[in-house]
Amino acid sequence: MDKLERLLNLIAALLETARPLTAEEIRERVPGYPDNKVSFRRSFERDKDDLREMGVPLVYEPIAGIDPPTEGYRIDRSRYYLRDPGFEPDELAALHLAVNAVQLDGGEGAEGLWKLGGVVEAEGEEPSLDGAWASLPADPNLPALYRACAERRTVEFRYHDEERTVDPHRVGYQRGRWYLTAWDRNRDADRNFRLDRISGPVVVGPPDGFAARPAGAAGMPGEPWQLGDGDEITARLLVDADHVTFAARQLGREAQVDERSDGSAVFSVAVTNWPAFRSFVLTFLEHAEVVGPPALRAQMTEWLVQVAR
Amino acid sequence: MSRPAASDRVARMLSLVPWVAARGSASVDEVCRRFDIDRDQLLHDLSVVSMVGLYPYTPDVLIELFIDDDEVCISLPQAFDRPLSLTPEQGVALVAAGATLFATPGADPDGPLARGLAKLSAVVGQGESPPLEVRLEEVSTGVLDAVRRGVYEHRQVSLDYYAYGRDELTQRVVDPYRVTTDQGQWYLSGYCHRAEADRVFRIDRIRTAELLDSTFDPSTATSDTDIFSPSVDDPRVTIDIAPDARWVVEQYPVDDIVELADGMLRVRLAVTARQWLERLLLRLGPTARVVDGPEELRGAAEASARRILARYQNP
Repeated sequence: MDKLERLLNLIAALLETARPLTAEEIRERVPGYPDNKVSFRRSFERDKDDLREMGVPLVYEPIAGIDPPTEGYRIDRSRYYLRDPGFEPDELAALHLAVNAVQLDGGEGAEGLWKLGGVVEAEGEEPSLDGAWASLPADPNLPALYRACAERRTVEFRYHDEERTVDPHRVGYQRGRWYLTAWDRNRDADRNFRLDRISGPVVVGPPDGFAARPAGAAGMPGEPWQLGDGDEITARLLVDADHVTFAARQLGREAQVDERSDGSAVFSVAVTNWPAFRSFVLTFLEHAEVVGPPALRAQMTEWLVQVAR
Repeated sequence: MSRPAASDRVARMLSLVPWVAARGSASVDEVCRRFDIDRDQLLHDLSVVSMVGLYPYTPDVLIELFIDDDEVCISLPQAFDRPLSLTPEQGVALVAAGATLFATPGADPDGPLARGLAKLSAVVGQGESPPLEVRLEEVSTGVLDAVRRGVYEHRQVSLDYYAYGRDELTQRVVDPYRVTTDQGQWYLSGYCHRAEADRVFRIDRIRTAELLDSTFDPSTATSDTDIFSPSVDDPRVTIDIAPDARWVVEQYPVDDIVELADGMLRVRLAVTARQWLERLLLRLGPTARVVDGPEELRGAAEASARRILARYQNP
């Protein structure tokens, strides 16, 4: 018998049963299992693994009102069925376009699309770009942390050699990295965590573990020079005319506070991580200089003097 | 084509059967297209599904399924009337893809993608906005539009490009093959008529892009160009770096890396341009030492530091 048939019958039996079924009952009711008990056990174990891998919420629990106490299997119906998102065809088409365009390494977007009604082509739109044009790196903890954000589950993990307990707010992708923005319970403050720096297992708590926060309560991690724990210093950076466009894109137009007659411009930048900002300034080589405050200018000069030696 | 695994076939049927059942029927062609399955496999799997039911397998608890005039007709007894929930992996893959497309310049904040994402977020979590955000580096919408149009219409583009490695502004005509993003950054790959070779350009370093009327033959486009691949001809330098500068190894392709007795790392890397090496050494600072390399590159750190210092010493 085709394994497809056995698995579908197994799912139907466990989904529709009024009480949990014992392994013995499953062997009797679901066609396609070997008669031999040992072989049955082996097949049934493999089928359970397949079901779990597919995301079928399989439950093993005591069967009520049976003596002696026995445990059995069922599928949790409330968690099995997808809530209908109620997509319009154009919305499904847009998501299809996204799944085609964006490759999340090892991602399962296409299978997810089947559940939502399959592949729908956008009508009358010229393809803006052909094929996959964006790729996002995968992170083993991304699905669990995303779900923790969505269902407000408190999580625990090890980061920078410290145990953290955080209320996760959002995962974000920026500059080639995934971040988690979360309320750090021990520090009583929002923190950004790099997913690739989380070590050890991520322990996820029950849903609704903390109160919902208003939208936009915590920002994405900013530029590297804003990722430090240091005191904030407002640096002033003078950039030569030819490099103003690039600097404005990195620092934001609003950071540009003064434009000089030769086309050069001064930017005002909040800095909490001086080494990161120093690195950024040095990428301009001799086309930019820190003009203030004097203490930062002195630190930059000192750094350069040491390198020049 | 190899036969797909049983669990993949189950996953597909658990989505496909409810979809057809909700409509009563659908054409074989449409089902194949929507669920990315070939005709033979579909007909075979449906014949299996028609045997599925509940103990004791009397007709009233079997799935009613038949194919008539190339139409698949399904009605369900009880189970399987809706698809299986999304797994966390599927949910995040869909949301991340949607959020990335939404982060591209010119995305319509009220368009179908935005609406679809909001509905999807409600299903995989709570609330209207997904707890996931993708940020791509900012690029000029005008430049991005011009190069995308060039790719789409096979038209050449004329670029004012800031060659970062060499620290110079250049003008070049390019046959644009592809626009991609990687690590949040936007890239254009194409044939550069100035270099007479395939090149990859960072779109944020294109000052202006002019769409030309001249076209090119897209069949000449090479399939893949590495974003950063040093050539075997590039000179190599060997640098000792402090342990906390390990990011160098993560960011750049290194030929060789040796851990020294004092904890320092000795790395050998390709230098594509002198200015590139200058920036790297300036960022690494006084703890980094060039221990080997061509004569003309060995004083790069000191010379560039002095050039910049000249600015600071003449206010």
